[in-house]
Amino acid sequence: MLWACVLLPHLALDGVLRRRPSSDEPLVLVTGSAQSRSILAANRPARAAGLRPGQRLAVAQALLSRFEAVEHDPATTERWHRLLAAWAYRYSAEVVLWPHAIVLEVSRSLGLFGPWPRFEALLRDDLSQLGFRHRIALAPTARAAYVLAGTHDGMAVMSPELLRGALSPIPVGKARLPDEAADNLAAMGLRTLGQLLHAPRDGLRRRFGEALIEHLDYLIGTAQEVLRYYRPPDRLELAMEWTHEIEQVEALVFPLRRLTGDLAACLAGRDGGVQRFMIRLVHRDGTSTDVSIGLLAPERDPTMLFEHTRSRMERTELPQPVIAMRLVAHELPPFVPAGRDLFDTRPANALPLGQLRERLRARLGDRAIQTLHATTDPRPEHAQSAARDDVVIGQPASLPRPTWLLDTPMPLRGLAPRIVAGPERLETGWWDGGDMRRDYYVVETAQGQRAWVFCAPGERGPWMLHGWFA
Amino acid sequence: MNAYAELHCLSNFSFQRGASSAMELFQRAKACGYSALAITDECSLAGIVRAYEASLETKLDLIVGAEFKLDDGLRFVLLCESREGYAALCGLITQGRRASAKGTYHLTRASLANGLPGTLALWLPDAEPDASDGHWLGERFAGRVWLAIELHRGPDDAARLRQLERLAADLGMPAVAAGDVHMHVRGRRALQDTLTAIRHGLTVAQAGVVLFKNGERHLRAREVLAEIYPVHLLEETARIAERCRFTMDQLHYRYPAELVPEGHSATSWLRQLTEEGIQRRWPDGISPENRETIEKELTLIGELEYEHYFLTVEDIVCFARRQNIFCQGRGSAANSVVCYALGVTSVSPDEATLLTERFMSASRKDHKYNRPEPPDIDIDFEHERREEVIQYIYRKYGRERTALAATVISYRGRSAARDVGKALGLSPDQVSALSSVFAWRNGGSLRHHLQEAGLDFDSPLLQRVLILAEELRGFPRHLSQHVGGFVISDAPLSQLVPVENAAMPDRTIIQWDKDDLDRMNLLKVDCLALGMLTCVRKCFDLMKQHENVSHTLASIPLNDNETYKMIQKADTIGVFQIESRAQMSMLPRLRPKNFYDLVIQVAIVRPGPIQGDMVHPYLRRRRKEEDVTYPSEALREVLERTLGVPLFQEQVMRIAMVAAGYTGQQADELRRAMAAWKRHGGMEKHRDRLFNGMKENNYSEAFAAQIFEQIKGFGSYGFPESHAAGFAKIAYASAWLKCRHPAAFACALLNSQPMGFYSASQIVQDAQRHHVQVLPVDVRHSDWDCTLERDVRDSTLAIRLGFRQVRGFNEQAAQRISQARERQAFLDIVDLCTRASLDRRHQDLLADTSALRGLAGHRHRAKWAVTGVEPQLPLFGRTSPDEQTIVLPPPSVAENLHADYARTGLSLGPHPVRLLRARLRADRYKDSRELSHQSHQTRVRTAGLVTQRQQPQTASGITFITLEDEHGNINVIVRRQLAERQRRPYLEARLMGVEGHWENVDGVSHLVAHRLLDMSDLLGQLDARSRDFH
Repeated sequence: MLWACVLLPHLALDGVLRRRPSSDEPLVLVTGSAQSRSILAANRPARAAGLRPGQRLAVAQALLSRFEAVEHDPATTERWHRLLAAWAYRYSAEVVLWPHAIVLEVSRSLGLFGPWPRFEALLRDDLSQLGFRHRIALAPTARAAYVLAGTHDGMAVMSPELLRGALSPIPVGKARLPDEAADNLAAMGLRTLGQLLHAPRDGLRRRFGEALIEHLDYLIGTAQEVLRYYRPPDRLELAMEWTHEIEQVEALVFPLRRLTGDLAACLAGRDGGVQRFMIRLVHRDGTSTDVSIGLLAPERDPTMLFEHTRSRMERTELPQPVIAMRLVAHELPPFVPAGRDLFDTRPANALPLGQLRERLRARLGDRAIQTLHATTDPRPEHAQSAARDDVVIGQPASLPRPTWLLDTPMPLRGLAPRIVAGPERLETGWWDGGDMRRDYYVVETAQGQRAWVFCAPGERGPWMLHGWFA
Repeated sequence: MNAYAELHCLSNFSFQRGASSAMELFQRAKACGYSALAITDECSLAGIVRAYEASLETKLDLIVGAEFKLDDGLRFVLLCESREGYAALCGLITQGRRASAKGTYHLTRASLANGLPGTLALWLPDAEPDASDGHWLGERFAGRVWLAIELHRGPDDAARLRQLERLAADLGMPAVAAGDVHMHVRGRRALQDTLTAIRHGLTVAQAGVVLFKNGERHLRAREVLAEIYPVHLLEETARIAERCRFTMDQLHYRYPAELVPEGHSATSWLRQLTEEGIQRRWPDGISPENRETIEKELTLIGELEYEHYFLTVEDIVCFARRQNIFCQGRGSAANSVVCYALGVTSVSPDEATLLTERFMSASRKDHKYNRPEPPDIDIDFEHERREEVIQYIYRKYGRERTALAATVISYRGRSAARDVGKALGLSPDQVSALSSVFAWRNGGSLRHHLQEAGLDFDSPLLQRVLILAEELRGFPRHLSQHVGGFVISDAPLSQLVPVENAAMPDRTIIQWDKDDLDRMNLLKVDCLALGMLTCVRKCFDLMKQHENVSHTLASIPLNDNETYKMIQKADTIGVFQIESRAQMSMLPRLRPKNFYDLVIQVAIVRPGPIQGDMVHPYLRRRRKEEDVTYPSEALREVLERTLGVPLFQEQVMRIAMVAAGYTGQQADELRRAMAAWKRHGGMEKHRDRLFNGMKENNYSEAFAAQIFEQIKGFGSYGFPESHAAGFAKIAYASAWLKCRHPAAFACALLNSQPMGFYSASQIVQDAQRHHVQVLPVDVRHSDWDCTLERDVRDSTLAIRLGFRQVRGFNEQAAQRISQARERQAFLDIVDLCTRASLDRRHQDLLADTSALRGLAGHRHRAKWAVTGVEPQLPLFGRTSPDEQTIVLPPPSVAENLHADYARTGLSLGPHPVRLLRARLRADRYKDSRELSHQSHQTRVRTAGLVTQRQQPQTASGITFITLEDEHGNINVIVRRQLAERQRRPYLEARLMGVEGHWENVDGVSHLVAHRLLDMSDLLGQLDARSRDFH
């Protein structure tokens, strides 16, 4: 066996950078709670200015006045990792995901892509094009390749006899030993793998446990490591069971949200979508009711999947109570989406707004279309919005507000109206530059209509009309 | 026009609600022609003394009251009609505050059961009033409850007015107009909105529902009110105001009387204790001068009726002495001869005669005016044992009668910018960038600093943030506990001032701070914690144990020449007060040679004298380079002891009185203004008064300007002579100990950490430079504390480092080691780990610090050995199974150094710089010893570990960096331009190389940097953390 390890030392940062035009502006990934923000990774211009991983953001700001700080998102990084595994799958059926690395067995692929220097060049080429910095090493064991990739980029140890010699000079700190073993070993003066391999096994086992011994065995190949290989998913099946029976479709909504959410997560993990899937509702006697869902285009947005499924489910009659629910997706779109770049995350089927709205209305019903919401902004002009505020505090007091609020106030013409109530003084909105000071009145026009009008504070006209009461 | 009194008004002491200070409110109310103003902060009287002061200043009546909201939502205002009502209000606030966590309150209907006689109630009905609430209040406050009608240009005020008047009529309750005032003028609307958002933890844009819809909640002009309210509602306010006869000056405070035994009066008892003290202090008889002073002092104390205060202080000090807790009083009254006799202070009148007469003259002069300066005694206790004293005070007087004073925490530039920035929706990163601009700002334009932080000064959003933050600056933010000011009263305190919970469990604070206490003539005793007293006491204990000498603070020989020689050389690492770099650079110039010189030394290195440019004139006169002159013969008396240059706070006040014709009361105002002007401003008034007064008395304008500058410099750092004297006493004591008992002193200093200016590493190096041997941590010898060991060969004392030096070591574990070792010496590692029940973490710590060298050999072998220790079962004995031997290389010197610094922050091995010396020398870097022989203005190059970066506020933009090498410290001066040009080495270097020119004047030397070099790479992983003092 021969293992190639592709180490991705800057996975998170590269994942961010590859989506941007190349630039000499300093950029860092930031992580941590609001109180202790620190730098996770820094690009070259940022490092040149003294910014480095582990630094507190405040310190970085003291060093460099302008740089871009991007919030680190572990989920995104994880997705890039899995995508690169999918890429490696082209070259080998045995692909392993380790932290910051992808390890693949290459002895069987050498015939196809080899010899190794050519194969290695191929891998490097791909990765460079994808925009991921990398270090590659080859060794007879997966672990050795993993360790060597960290210390000797480009090293290839082709035969097991040479392995010990190649590993011996490596410092324990770089040998990817379990837990804190490396620190403790260094504190005992055991600094290299060579020293470690010569130390009495019993003594090491006593002090560091079986894990260290195993690690050494796997490294030099005296024991065979059992690896969990990466498998590209081609069919998804998710299930949920209950101890009680569910009789109402409504009661299935919550579990359904979970299931479709999980589906969306799986889909995101493989960077694909789903076009057809089935919800199987299992009854006590073993029979089941199937609801199949078909989409016009591959989808993976959790809300979208949930809404689609729910609207189909709501039209389903339950002949018997349900004790389990399964989601089965056979038809996953091509693993590598056709057409564009593998990593293009733009939605595949963008629709013009009008068309989309009509389609949504047709498929999901009227309720899926947004209506106006009352906001908490005290200014009448800002009192309505299509989207809900993210934070809603308390209920607005019930104030006399017109049913029909004009978008833009207009002068109220005609005879002086009769004042019914007021003035209601509004002085607010300074925080975004839209400060207003007005006295509002409810008035009755000569025609007997009730109107909402305003004028400058303390004045009685000229009147501006702002709305009509029903 | 109708009279109007505002009966419902919040000041900014309703935290994050009220948007104006009491003074602003009173000035506005006065301008509007109101007949009275009630301050009704929510369940609080924290701002009432300020309101009282504003009321006196504006000559507008204050009505004392508070606003409440019960747990079921019922809201009302209570106003004090009489002294009885005031006590009831304090009681209610105390009850609500004590029943809830710090900063909040909890009250139910049951709390109002007794109807709080002496108060008037205003019911604040909801939008949809519940008549039964009104009815319930009507029963509790029969004949003294009103329905408050508060109209703020809502959607339909007319309807609201009709509704409430009908309700009042139904209930048979009179109605009255009120304003629900949150700000003095409409212009505070934006700030009030911002405060509301801050209180709710929202941005202003999110807070729409909870914001007021308009700015009507201000003190409105009476014409405007007349448009809104019917006449009878306005007239009713004046009638209620008439009824509220209570004023704050009706409060009388009495000191606890129980310290006087039966058959004695306070006067006779104080006399007896003083006489007993005289016997102790002067067993051979007191000098006629001191006797005379004591008689004068006792008379004065009697006239001012301060006997109880002195007795209380004496009692606390007595307790401390019984418990062998070191303490020392300071302050003007503490430096009296009576206090020396009572044992409150150890500053003997024989060594500082000048001080004692001060207490007399100052107090007597003030006494002519109706408000004598309250006696001022601060008592410092050993910091590790102050809690015992506090508990004693609580026990003795009971929790009802004792509480800590409050400290009002106010918004400063930084916190204001942070809170406003958040409320206006800046991102967390922008907020922290903004607040760092405010934290680090030292001169330079704000625009420039903001741009550096990546913020756009000109953006409208940032402009709003800056304007509002400036408005908010100085506003009170919350109450905190004073560091140690106890208020003790004869009657329960809660009749005098509300008491609330502090953040610390079992601590209660009153709602007033020290300025409020001064104003209300409440006496407080400051029980403070002082690390150096702990150190001195520990040092005395060590000397008794190892050198068989007994000492107290008072028994230390005065005028010890060797000690003063040491001080003059600035060899003062670890000495109280005079160990800072600024102090050290002054010592060789001032060359203190007696106690009073030390008093001056302590006081002179302060922002006051420095900013007032008093230091150099004083030094010149002292060196006889300049004649001692006085601005006038009248000021000779005031300035004689400081060679005609004012250095102390008291002198500045006396100058104001003598030269500018201030009365005692005005001088006292000046003192408070001095402490507060940085926060509140308000010095302009004094500027004019001083200049005019001095002009009248024929003083030069230049002199007036100089005095005024100095007054500003004193700011919140004002340092009175009476405090300097107390500190100088401790400074001398610690200097004497360092000089005469260096091993015991360094050992005690290590055992009192953290305190002072220097790290354990610096203390140890200093001890070594004074030829004190320091021995490493060792399980065969060490205890938790550092100890002294007598060398069998030359019988000198050496310091054995204790386990406390090991980062992360647990005190109990250390004690288990000591106890196990006392029973029997340890056989081997397994024996040690078993008998002292050491867990894995402690085993590792011991191995890493080489504390196992006697049992297992070098560090690597120790580590191998401890990691092999398995949890032992008692049955199977205490041995490990035989193991195959392993050959481990011994650690190198650098590795040991690294491990030492990592675990203990200090190393007894060679200094890290020494390891690099050959290399540094090749590059022509000089060490600190070579530098000291350089002549003035030589260009040199040196390198050392950065142990301190200090940017004092008095030095505009200059940073003092201290470098340490194997021979000592090098003081480096970095100017702002250099710091900005070489930001990275300036901020980051741990090992710094510096090129510059050497300055050496009057025995004070430093290196003015031209170029900085980050040489940290040479250190590898060395863990010598810089102590940044900013």
